[in-house]
Amino acid sequence: MTREHKNALRILMKSPVTDDMIKFLTHTTLNVLPNINNELPSPPVSPGNSKESKLPSLKTFITKLVRYTNVYTSTLLTTACYLKKLQRILPKDANGLPSTIHRIFLACLILSAKFHNDSSPLNKHWAEYTDGLFSLEDVNLMEVQLLALLNWDIRIKEEDLFIDLRYLLEPIIRDLEMSAQRKRHYKQQQQQQLLKAGPLTKDHTNSKVYNQRNISIDSNLSSLTLTESNSTVSLHSSRSMSTLNSRSSSPLYAKPPKSYVPNINQKVRRTEASESDWDLEDIMAQYGF
Amino acid sequence: MSSSSSQFKQLEKLGNGTYATVYKGLNKTTGIFVALKEVKLDSEEGTPSTAIREISLMKELKHENIVRLYDVIHTENKLTLVFEYMDKDLKNYMDSRTSGNSTRGLELSLVKYFQWQLFEGVTFCHENKILHRDLKPQNLLINNKGQLKLGDFGLARAFGIPVNTFSTEVVTLWYRAPDVLMGSRSYSTSIDMWSCGCILAEMITGKPLFPGTNDEEQLKLIFDIMGTPDEQLWPAVTSLPKYNRNLPKKEPKDLKKLLQAHTKEIVDDQVIDLVTGLLQLNPDARLTAKQALHHPWFGEYYQQQ
Repeated sequence: MTREHKNALRILMKSPVTDDMIKFLTHTTLNVLPNINNELPSPPVSPGNSKESKLPSLKTFITKLVRYTNVYTSTLLTTACYLKKLQRILPKDANGLPSTIHRIFLACLILSAKFHNDSSPLNKHWAEYTDGLFSLEDVNLMEVQLLALLNWDIRIKEEDLFIDLRYLLEPIIRDLEMSAQRKRHYKQQQQQQLLKAGPLTKDHTNSKVYNQRNISIDSNLSSLTLTESNSTVSLHSSRSMSTLNSRSSSPLYAKPPKSYVPNINQKVRRTEASESDWDLEDIMAQYGF
Repeated sequence: MSSSSSQFKQLEKLGNGTYATVYKGLNKTTGIFVALKEVKLDSEEGTPSTAIREISLMKELKHENIVRLYDVIHTENKLTLVFEYMDKDLKNYMDSRTSGNSTRGLELSLVKYFQWQLFEGVTFCHENKILHRDLKPQNLLINNKGQLKLGDFGLARAFGIPVNTFSTEVVTLWYRAPDVLMGSRSYSTSIDMWSCGCILAEMITGKPLFPGTNDEEQLKLIFDIMGTPDEQLWPAVTSLPKYNRNLPKKEPKDLKKLLQAHTKEIVDDQVIDLVTGLLQLNPDARLTAKQALHHPWFGEYYQQQ
């Protein structure tokens, strides 16, 4: 794994939960049992049996769980690894009730929370978070069944995360690679400038182009960011990053980008190691840390 | 993992773990003794996270110095973990060797052999990216062959993937590292190495090195002996959540004198050097398990090979 891969994973796990992540998990869950199509309306139910008619779409179900539990992004995304494992374990033509996919997702999220956090909700609370869709007994049963299916192999390795989350990681890796390229380019420019020994103008110093894919920037973010980077920042992202997680709904705070040539000598003295930190810090700032 | 509970005959109770009761058991088909760890399932909690971690992590840890998990039997209201049987734990072993009121340590040759096995087990955990987080004499099991094995992984955690922060409510107080006591959540393998240092000193003297009764007193006992940390020795210390600037400045005590007072054998400089390497206040300066295995105190083991 390259440095970009590792950094991308750290960035992804620290970003707020996005609509994109929920869509991705919905899709991943639906793929576990492709024979059950949750997104089509269910056939009418017998009178008096109101339970099935209440069944929300899987995406709504996941969105609500995220909102109620304020789950960490890392806990949420790691469920993708359990879902992929299940997809490999279960027979291709496996079938179930329309609510089976909801059970599968919830059980995976519960195991992820219990394994990856030092404190996590009780099953009693998980049952409450389903808005009456599942009882405590249902939740206990789905947990036991999933543990048996996975044969208690709950540990997730970093390699699994790279593979199972590649859809979410790839855009970040591309951003990081572009940023590294820009930096190399900028360094070359700098060296040329130094050879000429002429004074640097501000135009040269702000050649960094921000790639804003998947980044939301609060409109009141700092005007500093805009002025310093010479209007190369686009505030419109192609994929929205609506923040679902109330923990992260505090105003996004991003550090203004470091001034690029405050001191030529200092810049030249930078070592390779410190440049890598600088790079990550810069990208993290873009993502709103 | 496919045993049923009828396969085992439950014998006497061996003790209470952090979240379970342990019985001696007999595998009726093989005639081999086992330890049966019974976890009562509370319906509100579901399967306890401690059990989920202990089982999933111990399944992978197959090593001579780690208690083997043979099987898991999951019934509606009970979860039974079937472990390799061990005769006693290091705590009762040390207690049984204490005569009357005078506390006495173990012979240094035995201390060395136990400590070596402890480091072998911990090295294996750390290589597999697992923190034990509750190393103490009660959780080190020994058998009549003098083998020592790590047990009770109820507080263990996997590390190395970018997941969430860690709790500071880990490790039994007497064996808890000063960085964790001061609220650090970014700890790693060094948390276990501090415990190893406390255990080594305890085996030599027969009594716990830092027997505090609360977090504050625990830190005081540590600083009384190891000295009060300052920014020079430990640059990050002042940024820890519970760092107290007003603590009286203490100089480190002479560990050799301190340990020598409780044992008749000569405590040599090498073992003192090892204890000092493990009980570094700054977690980054502590020896790793692998480094500890290569410490000159164990030189005689290398010469034999």
